[in-house]
Amino acid sequence: MTAQSRDFAASAELASDLRQWRTRALTAGVIGAVLLLVGIFLVSPFQLYESYLWSYVFYVGVTLGCLVWLMLQYLTGGAWGVVIRRPAEAAARTLPLLALLFLPIVVGIPNLYQWSHANLVANDPVMQHKQIYLNVPFFLIRAALYLGGWNFLAWYFNRWSAREDEGSPVAHRKMAALAGPGILFWGFSITFMAVDWVLSLNPRWFSTIFGMLFMAGQGLSGMAFLITLLVLLSYRRPMSEILTPRHLHDLGKLLLCMVMVWAYFTFSQFLIIWAGNLPDEITWYVARLHGGWRYIALALVLGHFALPFALLLSRDLKRNFKLLAGIAIFILCMRYVDVYWLVAPDFSRGRFAVSWMDFVAPVALGGIWLWAFVTQLEKRPLMPLGEPNLEEALQHGRE
Amino acid sequence: MPDEPQVVEPPEPKQLIAPGYTFGSVTDQIATVVLTGRTPVFWLACFSVGLALLFLFLYAVALLLAKGVGIWGIRVPVMWGFAITNFVWWIGIGHAGTLISAILLLLNQRWRNSINRFAEAMTLFAVACAGMFPLLHLGRPWLFYWLFPYPNTMNVQPQFRSPLVWDVFAVSTYATVSFLFWFVGLLPDLATLRDRTLNRFARFAYGILAMGWRGSARHWSIYETASLLLAGLATPLVLSVHTVVSFDFTIAIVPGWHSTFFPPYFVAGAIYSGFAMVLALAIPLRAVYGLQGLITDKHLDNSAKVMLATGLIVAYAYILETFTAWYSGNVYEGAAIWNRMTGPYAPAYWMLISCNIILPQALWFKSIRSRPVLLFIWSMIVLTGMWLERYVIIVSSLAQDFLTSSWSIFVPTRWDWATYFGTIGLFLFLFFAFIRLLPMISIFEVRTLLPQAKVEEEVQG
Repeated sequence: MTAQSRDFAASAELASDLRQWRTRALTAGVIGAVLLLVGIFLVSPFQLYESYLWSYVFYVGVTLGCLVWLMLQYLTGGAWGVVIRRPAEAAARTLPLLALLFLPIVVGIPNLYQWSHANLVANDPVMQHKQIYLNVPFFLIRAALYLGGWNFLAWYFNRWSAREDEGSPVAHRKMAALAGPGILFWGFSITFMAVDWVLSLNPRWFSTIFGMLFMAGQGLSGMAFLITLLVLLSYRRPMSEILTPRHLHDLGKLLLCMVMVWAYFTFSQFLIIWAGNLPDEITWYVARLHGGWRYIALALVLGHFALPFALLLSRDLKRNFKLLAGIAIFILCMRYVDVYWLVAPDFSRGRFAVSWMDFVAPVALGGIWLWAFVTQLEKRPLMPLGEPNLEEALQHGRE
Repeated sequence: MPDEPQVVEPPEPKQLIAPGYTFGSVTDQIATVVLTGRTPVFWLACFSVGLALLFLFLYAVALLLAKGVGIWGIRVPVMWGFAITNFVWWIGIGHAGTLISAILLLLNQRWRNSINRFAEAMTLFAVACAGMFPLLHLGRPWLFYWLFPYPNTMNVQPQFRSPLVWDVFAVSTYATVSFLFWFVGLLPDLATLRDRTLNRFARFAYGILAMGWRGSARHWSIYETASLLLAGLATPLVLSVHTVVSFDFTIAIVPGWHSTFFPPYFVAGAIYSGFAMVLALAIPLRAVYGLQGLITDKHLDNSAKVMLATGLIVAYAYILETFTAWYSGNVYEGAAIWNRMTGPYAPAYWMLISCNIILPQALWFKSIRSRPVLLFIWSMIVLTGMWLERYVIIVSSLAQDFLTSSWSIFVPTRWDWATYFGTIGLFLFLFFAFIRLLPMISIFEVRTLLPQAKVEEEVQG
């Protein structure tokens, strides 16, 4: 089995599957979007923006999670990196769409963020202090910078990847050279993105690990998504002949690692704030650990950490395509819940309230995002043809 | 299937050791360092320096026990001073050894094979040095067992909500697992030394230590399982020990200490300084003993890259610390950071920023990473920077805390310095004794890196 003797284009069966997924995703997306618009009149525009914000943050997380794994594999090498390259590149190519989908948040700023109201700021010394950072023009400039930077990275890695397919000898070096700075940019942009889009919903609260919580979450979402996708692709040629249990085993280890990193960051933040019990900080947890929110918190401890952790320790499970994909999908669902738990209690003002729009928004955005993703995935062969380690990756798990 | 033509040549594994080695020559080169009768001048010099500083340490400790901790510069409100700075610094250095031996083993990073042995030894000795400080800092070290929850007639139990008690468990577990991992990894090589030495006494000693290792298939099978399990046990320790150390600070509400990202930031800093120490040890050793073929430029390059990556995480932490101090709008947090930058400890702060953030950016360039001499200098810079970091965090936050009337500046005494340099002596003494008495590179693991070993494997498979 050599790279030369292989056709990495999607087989006819897979192509028809992909068309079907695309149509279904778009249908779900359009129906969801219509429901959301109806919701403006049935519920309130506030609810629309709130549900939209957390869903948007979630899909940005999946996309950038894929992008950062793509960059990381240029630095570390390894067969796992070769098999995820094309799906991760396709996910990165949805970033222009995500930039467009930021517009509803721009429109919703007055509904979402207290600091955008001059009269509230005027009566609050803390918000006055933060005004040089938390004001609408600077907020938009920063958002443009993040989205612009991510789009640039997505463009760069896709362009050189395409040239590598055509046989460019410098392409791999070019990509490896930008991977380090790219990850650095990702780290900083995610930190400030988390501060701007989520942390500033509660303008009195702060936590230095907050950006890292989002980094870990994105890494986890990205990996869970890539594993799910690879398993779905593995039923048809060409991926049915490429993927071995060894590949999935490696990816499963990374998934387990990210589950632990997420738990480590989340628990560190909790323990430090709980032990300090300072009025500035503890309020954030008071809101999230009382009323109905406490059950969501408990669900996160069990479903976002304990259960996946215990299951993923098993070597056999990581080598079982269906079971691993099942856990990955479960983790993606818990990622939804986690982002929701981070965002929503700031809006609910002490009450526990879940709206039907909180369920429709992720479907609407997810449908549109998946449609864009599958469209991009169809455009290129499913394995990177010019990858120098392609042969090694194909042999991985077959020795 | 022998008759089926091989379609593909399996890809050439990237060479981690210089070409031309055979199983025999690897064993010879590593074992000779220990079994030779001649001792290089370099070794004698380093060992003497270590021994001299060790005597200084013993003198300083004797004086400390006789007179009490007042001989150090610790005064209210800075009661942690050098002792805790040095504790955190040493224990951080140890982390690279565990990272190399455990995490890189689990990640199948085979380049670790020629540096893991001495990196693990470094861990053990660094933990030994680290352990000195909290014990001496107790004032009455002979009562250290009060830290453990044992049934006693005094009705005194440790306060389990205190991270200082967590430290006792974290560090003692770490020391135990590190020792076991290191010792189990040594067994096959101890047997090699036993079989090769001509000295009767050495044969007896290595024979006892090798615990009857004969290299049978059964031994190897048990060995593989044991080392994998110990690696699995050691991996969480890399994170947990320094996380608990960071809790010593964050669980308190002192401004400049109570920051939620301290756990990952301390772990990154620990690995940062640990890899600096690995380089600081590996570069002179490979030059003196001619081991450039086993500890290649590739190893130095990889270690420098790990240093750069962890250094960037540390840089991220400083930037975010400053941003959050402003963003929080909390006057105490703001004042703590502002004091660090402009107050009495400003020189130390800016030196730490230069050593930990600005200068290490040079490691982005291959031209720096490929020059061992420069890398050695850079590793010294990082070690200094990481020591200063702990010093600034501990001392500046304590010197100017909530109660302005008790603000005071910490001035280290010569006994502070003597104890600090004394532990460097202890470390050098132990490390160079190890170099002389045990194989500093894992013989059998390096042999698996040879191309011959690969062929063997495929014929069997």
